[in-house]
Amino acid sequence: MSELPEEAFAAALAGLDRMTVNRLNVLLNQVTPRDAFAIAVGEARPIGLASQLFAIDGLATAWRQSAAVRSPERVWDECCRHGISVLVRGMPGYPEPLLHDPSPAAVLFVLGDLGRITARRAGIIGTRNATGSGRDTATTLGRDLAAAGVHVVSGLARGVDGCAHRGSLSVADGAAPLAVVASGLDVVYPREHAHLWRQVAEHGAVVSEAPPGTLPEAYRFPLRNRILAALSEVLVVIESRARGGSLITVNEARDRGILVMAVPGALRNRAAEGTNALVRDGCPVVIDVDDVLVGLGLDSRRAGGVAYDPRPRPRGSDVEFVDLLCEPRTLDQLVLLTGHSLVDCAMVMARLESNGWVHQVNGWFERVGDAT
Amino acid sequence: MLAAITSATLLGVEGHRVVVEVHVSSALPSFTIVGLPDEVCREARDRVRAAVLSSGFSWPSKKVTVNLAPSSQRKVGAGLDLAIAVGILVADDLIGADAVAEFGFVGELGLDGSLRPVAGIAPMVAALGAVRAVVPVASRHEAEVISEFGVVVGRTLRDVVEALKGQAPWPTPPADDYVEEIVEVPDLADVRGQPLARQALEVAAAGGHHVLFVGPPGSGKTMLAQRMPGLLPPLTPQVSLVATMVHSAAGVRLPSSALITRAPFRAPHHTSSIVALVGGGTASLRPGEISLAHGGVLFLDELGEFSPAVLDGLRQPLEEGVVRVARARASATLPAQFLLVAATNPCPCGGGAPGSCECDDGARSRYLRRLSGPLLDRFDLRVPVHRPEVDELLVGEGGESSLVVAERVARARGVAHERNGCLNAAIPATLLDALAPLEAAAQQLLRTELERDRLTGRGYHRVRRVARTLADLDALGDEVVRERHVVMALQFRVRLSPLLRGRAA
Repeated sequence: MSELPEEAFAAALAGLDRMTVNRLNVLLNQVTPRDAFAIAVGEARPIGLASQLFAIDGLATAWRQSAAVRSPERVWDECCRHGISVLVRGMPGYPEPLLHDPSPAAVLFVLGDLGRITARRAGIIGTRNATGSGRDTATTLGRDLAAAGVHVVSGLARGVDGCAHRGSLSVADGAAPLAVVASGLDVVYPREHAHLWRQVAEHGAVVSEAPPGTLPEAYRFPLRNRILAALSEVLVVIESRARGGSLITVNEARDRGILVMAVPGALRNRAAEGTNALVRDGCPVVIDVDDVLVGLGLDSRRAGGVAYDPRPRPRGSDVEFVDLLCEPRTLDQLVLLTGHSLVDCAMVMARLESNGWVHQVNGWFERVGDAT
Repeated sequence: MLAAITSATLLGVEGHRVVVEVHVSSALPSFTIVGLPDEVCREARDRVRAAVLSSGFSWPSKKVTVNLAPSSQRKVGAGLDLAIAVGILVADDLIGADAVAEFGFVGELGLDGSLRPVAGIAPMVAALGAVRAVVPVASRHEAEVISEFGVVVGRTLRDVVEALKGQAPWPTPPADDYVEEIVEVPDLADVRGQPLARQALEVAAAGGHHVLFVGPPGSGKTMLAQRMPGLLPPLTPQVSLVATMVHSAAGVRLPSSALITRAPFRAPHHTSSIVALVGGGTASLRPGEISLAHGGVLFLDELGEFSPAVLDGLRQPLEEGVVRVARARASATLPAQFLLVAATNPCPCGGGAPGSCECDDGARSRYLRRLSGPLLDRFDLRVPVHRPEVDELLVGEGGESSLVVAERVARARGVAHERNGCLNAAIPATLLDALAPLEAAAQQLLRTELERDRLTGRGYHRVRRVARTLADLDALGDEVVRERHVVMALQFRVRLSPLLRGRAA
């Protein structure tokens, strides 16, 4: 047992049943992880605030039992097997921005290398059910920020998060991406992001508060959001519903005095109701990457020119259709708006789709930006 | 004394001839019915006795035994009442045995001796054999539709007995009870906008393609489905007769002409049980909703809310056009050739424009999982329906009426039958190249779709069948399926998978 490092005990503590952020902080604030673990399993006498924890009904038993199942040896073994490093607050390697957080993560699990995160950091968040335009914006912004040397911080969720990461990874030697996730680092969620997850870990880092094997339970996402906010220097919201999870991150960021910026959306776009409300309440607006760079206090002169668009330009009456698709349309609406027959509209859409100008979801046609 | 009277009982949609044998002998007075009667049939003892007495005849104070032959087959319902009563009167020498030999009797008796209609008159009369059928007045048209040997009616047991004895003529039913009902079939002209869904209805009617409408609440899925029967041609005499038999056997009200000539429309609620849909609930194996929809439309609204077992029960009938219901004592094959029209929301919250869905991933995939799998595969047309714009509702034209569309449908069906010998939906995959050849551009389009993994092998064949129907509907009468037809057919394949919603995510 003596050959186990201190981190192994911290990792095991983080995985105990009924462990919370506050309880973990109380245990680890006073003594070394090794001693804290001894206290938690009842082998040592608790001191100070920690002794009050044991007054909580059943907590001592729960900890003792779960420590027997998930011992430090086992947790450490899992971490080593998956290549997960463990950072303990107060020990070397722990990220600076979280040190003085009002609700810090006492233990952090990292896949990849946090040492790559050296420059400025911008968070990009938004809804999982994003519109095509929201996804395009996320991809573009992620790409341009990475190209400008800004680390993109996001949550590896579906929709906006995933697109932001993809965008930042698409730049050959851009700034490394940083992801903050809610589940254990070996539990990929959502599953279709397995490849993206690996790529982010390879080029940047994936961070979680939860030890390996932890499932993505719903309550972990708001907790994740606070770390995401704390690790960002400016937080950009792309599409959020009126009561979306992104707004939790926004509040966490505001609590920490972090600048929140929002991308405005179309008024009829329900996925942008939350961001539009932010804009109305005076939140700075993001139209392109320069706005974020200004928010970070960086030089905003754009590097590089406009990217070349290889798609064949729409011709003739097709232009009219592309213009109409400034918002998502159904085939029925296109028939009504253009006066062309159903078959003709379908033919135009098929042509535009095969040329990469239009994308269809559930019978809705959306214009594709130049992001891909 | 002995009497043998011809009657019939019902199993599924088929009648079976039953000989009611009555034996009256000098012994302690009693009345027994043997020969596998069901509960209702056994209760005939009390009905028949009361009816005979209140019609003014005497009840023999002897041992009365009734045997329903063949005795191994289960007899159901009250349709044997009349035959039992007549049999007893014959055995008691009140009627001559010769007088009843040329008749078959079907009908229920009231305690006052009145004759009442029963379910399944049409199939039972068909099973009587070469005799004239005696049926209740109200069942006259139903019996006449099927009978080859003549039908006579009675209002009461007394009518029947007097006519048999030659004391009075058979009662003539009032001639004026036949009124042509004007059935209100919803018209397609009422639908504002929705050109895509209208086209889908037309294609479904012309090609016999099953159709699934996918759209948020209030987008008019039900309204569209109700207009489907109006687009279908009248039933052929053969189908019409089968449909009439099914309705009769199920005890569902028939039109006053008794013959079902229009395509039926059945819309069972999503709480319906599997037996209600597939059939076989009672001892007579009553036909279910899918058989009642034979030759017409079965509409399942809120498809995802039906229990999975019910939906699975539809698969075999969809494949074979009949449903085989088997129970421990009996089995029956019921007709079930229908056009399936279904409607569903894209997700629990109803969805809408991109980005407006509020469901979490778990809820959405749970919802879609109920639909997914083999049943979804049966739908040639999966049509996205959207809430019409305000403009469409206010200024949109009503569009063509059902009559105009039905004409095109009838012509396309004719073209298809001449070429395939069946509707386009039933073209075997091996014959597609011969019956639905593609022009080069259409071929290229489908190849791209397949390469991009947006079309499965099965989906490929479905698209080709639908495109064939679209080509048949075109006034040009083209033998080759054009690119425009394939493009249109691809619009009728909305994707219902939770993971493939977006391009990037």
